[in-house]
Amino acid sequence: MEVTRAPDSRKRVREKLFIVDTDVHHGFESWSDLYPYLPQVYAERLREHGGSGPSSQYWHNGGMRGRRADFLNADDLLESTRRQLLDDCEIDIAVLTGSSAYGACGIPDADFGSAICRAFNDYTLEHWVARDERFRVAMAINTQDPLGMAKEIDRIGSHPAVIAIIMPGGATKPYGNRVYDPIYEACERNRLAVMIHFNGEGVGINGPPTAAGWPSHYVEGRMMRAPVYMAHMASFIFEGAFEKFPGLRVVNVEAGFAWMPWYVWRMDSDWKSLRYQAPWVKRPPSEYVKEHVRVNTQPIDEPENERDLEQIIEWMHGDQTLLFGSDFPHFDFDDPRKTLTRLPDRLRRRIFGESALETFPKLQPPG
Amino acid sequence: MGRHVICRADELQPGAVRIIEAEKRSIGIFNIRGDFYALRNTCPHKGAPLCRGIITGLAVSDEPLQLRITRDGEIVRCPWHGWEFDILSGRSVYNPHRMRVKTYDVAVEPMAEEDPSVETYPVQVEEDYIVLYI
Ligand code: FES
Repeated sequence: MEVTRAPDSRKRVREKLFIVDTDVHHGFESWSDLYPYLPQVYAERLREHGGSGPSSQYWHNGGMRGRRADFLNADDLLESTRRQLLDDCEIDIAVLTGSSAYGACGIPDADFGSAICRAFNDYTLEHWVARDERFRVAMAINTQDPLGMAKEIDRIGSHPAVIAIIMPGGATKPYGNRVYDPIYEACERNRLAVMIHFNGEGVGINGPPTAAGWPSHYVEGRMMRAPVYMAHMASFIFEGAFEKFPGLRVVNVEAGFAWMPWYVWRMDSDWKSLRYQAPWVKRPPSEYVKEHVRVNTQPIDEPENERDLEQIIEWMHGDQTLLFGSDFPHFDFDDPRKTLTRLPDRLRRRIFGESALETFPKLQPPG
Repeated sequence: MGRHVICRADELQPGAVRIIEAEKRSIGIFNIRGDFYALRNTCPHKGAPLCRGIITGLAVSDEPLQLRITRDGEIVRCPWHGWEFDILSGRSVYNPHRMRVKTYDVAVEPMAEEDPSVETYPVQVEEDYIVLYI
């Protein structure tokens, strides 16, 4: 008698996951790398005074100068990113989220800050994007110069690799405020998403890092990331930004995600009570969030029981709202091979790649 | 269905509300510009005495950051957490299709009343009364 065997599912090879990494930090090794892209007056200013003006943080970071210690001595930032991240972790698309230009938003001289952002954008296109087709860019934006940055977005926003802008968490006004309208108009024109990355809080002209003042230590500072994003998210919703800009997509990078369900519930409750003060908010905040707001996975949240993550992800409609990010090469890097491995394949495909394709209007799958 | 005579119509002025008990229910009777409406005095959210909330209009917006008030006096805002209800229909403003408070019919009916000041010859005067139907 012949026995037909069902294919052994345990031996099934997991198909290669399509991965979009929404948080890959690139940069330059020295401010002098930017001199060729700066007007002489600003190149000289940097040469004479160094990066003390545009400094973005006042704490010690983790790891070695914020980076993974096994990465620090890499001779070439770009080559190490390609080899250790893109190749080893099989990343299909890496969104470059910068680092060095965040502090520009806090410089009292707005024109200097804008010049640094423009220079960094040109540097990025020439030294990073041109050298690997897996790179995409979230272009640097000086948030205190919305009109100037609208021009900057029109200048390079049509470059095929530019898929977003990136703004630091620290600001003078939360990001739903009307002062930023020219930036969002330009993003809609150029089909760019808006990314927000923790940085610049309490720096230069920006507001203090918490309403409770300045924490002493880096680890304290890390705890205030989600509240900063909460402030921006409430602002986008209750200032009517998503009504004004239906194409606006906001991606909150590097503040974890487990806070999202609670926060969205809180906004819905308070909207029911206080709707009359902002009647241009036509729908419950949760609906705007589902349509317009994304968060990335980094740094991954670790409940006591890892299985609880799936419940949290369901509460936040994470099949739509959650995007993978590795934060390479920073010390708290999340390796995609070790991240959210317990989730069902269907959900992993959404989080690691499919949802990003829906979030960034210009992003196309490779090939 | 019970019929309850509440008070003389001129005892409840426009913009005012009177809360009464009828058939073991607390009910608010509102006078909106001379028309009368009745709502169950229990908020569907957490049971607050809804009809003791602020009587206001409907805040609407034609474009972001612009707001104006329409339907002045036709909305009651719950005294506890501020949910708004349309006094005319009982529907909640934030979710009119799924959240509502019970409404009741109110009529104004003329009724004969004996005038006690006239002792010798009892007369009857016709007066308008607010009548609630449950
Ligand atoms: S009890 Fe009425 S809004 Fe909560």
